[in-house]
Amino acid sequence: MRAGTILRTVWLIVAVGFMLLPVYAMLVVASAPDDTDLRGLVFNGFHLPENIGLLFGEGNLPTYLRNSLILCVGTGILDVIFSAAAGYAMAQLSFPGRRVLFALVIGTLALTPMVLVIPVFLIVKELGWVNTFQGMMVPGMISAFGVFLVRQFALGIPKELLLAARVDGAGEFRIFARIAVPLLKPALITLFLVHFLAQWDNLLWPLIVANEQELWPLPVGLANFQSEVGFNYHLTTTAALVTAVPPFILMVALQRYYVAGLTFGGLKR
Amino acid sequence: MSVVLDRGRARPQATAGVALTLPVAVFFVVFWLVPFLAAIYLSFTDYEMAGTPNWIGLANYERMFADPGFLNSAWITVVYTVCTVVPTIVLALLVAVPLSKPGRLNRRLRALVMIPAVMPLAATSMVWVIIYSDRGMANTLLGLVGIDPQSWLTSSDLAIWALVVMVVWKSMGLFVIILTAGLQALPGEVYEAAAIDGSGAVTTFTRITLPLLRRTLLFVLVISVAGSMQAFVPAFLLTGGGPADATQVLPYYIWANAFPYEHMGYAAAMGMVLLVAMVIVSALQFGFLKGGDE
Repeated sequence: MRAGTILRTVWLIVAVGFMLLPVYAMLVVASAPDDTDLRGLVFNGFHLPENIGLLFGEGNLPTYLRNSLILCVGTGILDVIFSAAAGYAMAQLSFPGRRVLFALVIGTLALTPMVLVIPVFLIVKELGWVNTFQGMMVPGMISAFGVFLVRQFALGIPKELLLAARVDGAGEFRIFARIAVPLLKPALITLFLVHFLAQWDNLLWPLIVANEQELWPLPVGLANFQSEVGFNYHLTTTAALVTAVPPFILMVALQRYYVAGLTFGGLKR
Repeated sequence: MSVVLDRGRARPQATAGVALTLPVAVFFVVFWLVPFLAAIYLSFTDYEMAGTPNWIGLANYERMFADPGFLNSAWITVVYTVCTVVPTIVLALLVAVPLSKPGRLNRRLRALVMIPAVMPLAATSMVWVIIYSDRGMANTLLGLVGIDPQSWLTSSDLAIWALVVMVVWKSMGLFVIILTAGLQALPGEVYEAAAIDGSGAVTTFTRITLPLLRRTLLFVLVISVAGSMQAFVPAFLLTGGGPADATQVLPYYIWANAFPYEHMGYAAAMGMVLLVAMVIVSALQFGFLKGGDE
């Protein structure tokens, strides 16, 4: 039994070590002074601050970072607002078309973006939104996941609570804003986090709809970064590191909500 | 009396319900339902960005099965999906089962596993380009065990496996977290009973853990398969579909046909085939794992 415990601990440390090895390699190469050592095993000095300074001093990385932040925070907030309203209404209010809407939302969960990007691009083109922020932002603004997440969570709000508010003469919108939203807060934070992380990593849509470098978010910028920095591996790695920092900060701050979002489909229902 | 009261409450509820869901309803119609119907229509046309779509019936679908590019992509997607999903889930289980046990060390390790899980795929891909470069970590580690350096991303035999290894690594962190959460939610009494009955570690795992974990496993399997079948980013960032189409997974082929080449009708038809394949595969997985319930 004792030997088993030791074996298990050794295996875990080795396995988690291997899982962290590429992250460690990223840190090492991103801190290198040049491209002479790309093994990513031993620190060759620590030039990370200089490398970051170099990327922020000139070049487009600050633009990509700004665009990604606008994209992810902007659509994240909109997704939270619209999904909160729709998810709550679908869980707690009776109104015409509720069933149809639910079927529509659930149906979209099965669709792959590979089917939708072509017609959505044509719609965006028709709207004159190619190469604009709204073209990048609006089509991915609301997710079926978000509406569904809030609805499932809102089903847990006690009916008596809403009924009591109605008896007291509170209007439906007031009940939503004052009673439902505070109760839904954990679900809304989870939704914002999941949305932010997914959007932060969205390469396909901006690649299709934004040809102008001024509009590129980080994933598209990274895809072209090698040629931008003259095929400098260590600077490309520094840029990858910069890209990984905001999701990392959010994860540390909101770890509980992150796990809740990941396991939503696995544990509930 | 109560009927009257309900009526009085029903109207404001209906108004509020419609008002609160209207933006979402409009959004889903404009950006999901209409595009989905348009994609079905386009798949029966010869639409090419410039010009108007002409109805050509099933011609796109017939063309697909004579197109070596499509057949190659479909096959690579099958290989890529099987070879990423199976090792990822097996490895993630092997880590998650011991990791889900209580203890201070395990709690720290669980926090560390989150780091790879939260790395953006775009950033991950750029890091692995360097790991796979001639003087990168992959060749250095191979050198330690006496194997010659390889051209990971430019060899048509190796490139797909280079992608697979990266994706297994990337998804593993995520799945370890999900499986660990699932394992921690399992009732502890069952394990105590098993221990009293003298059940060994392997028996406990196959007879108790796996069946109880079925729901979480099904979830991981479904998102893993769906993720692999529609994976675009690794092929785009690591190899650009190459060398010689060796990593041209179907989503990449669809994108390349639709956007750089503007064969939108044909790309839409391939998208429909991918969608139908995904729906069938998901249904099979649900059927397979639900079937074990009795």
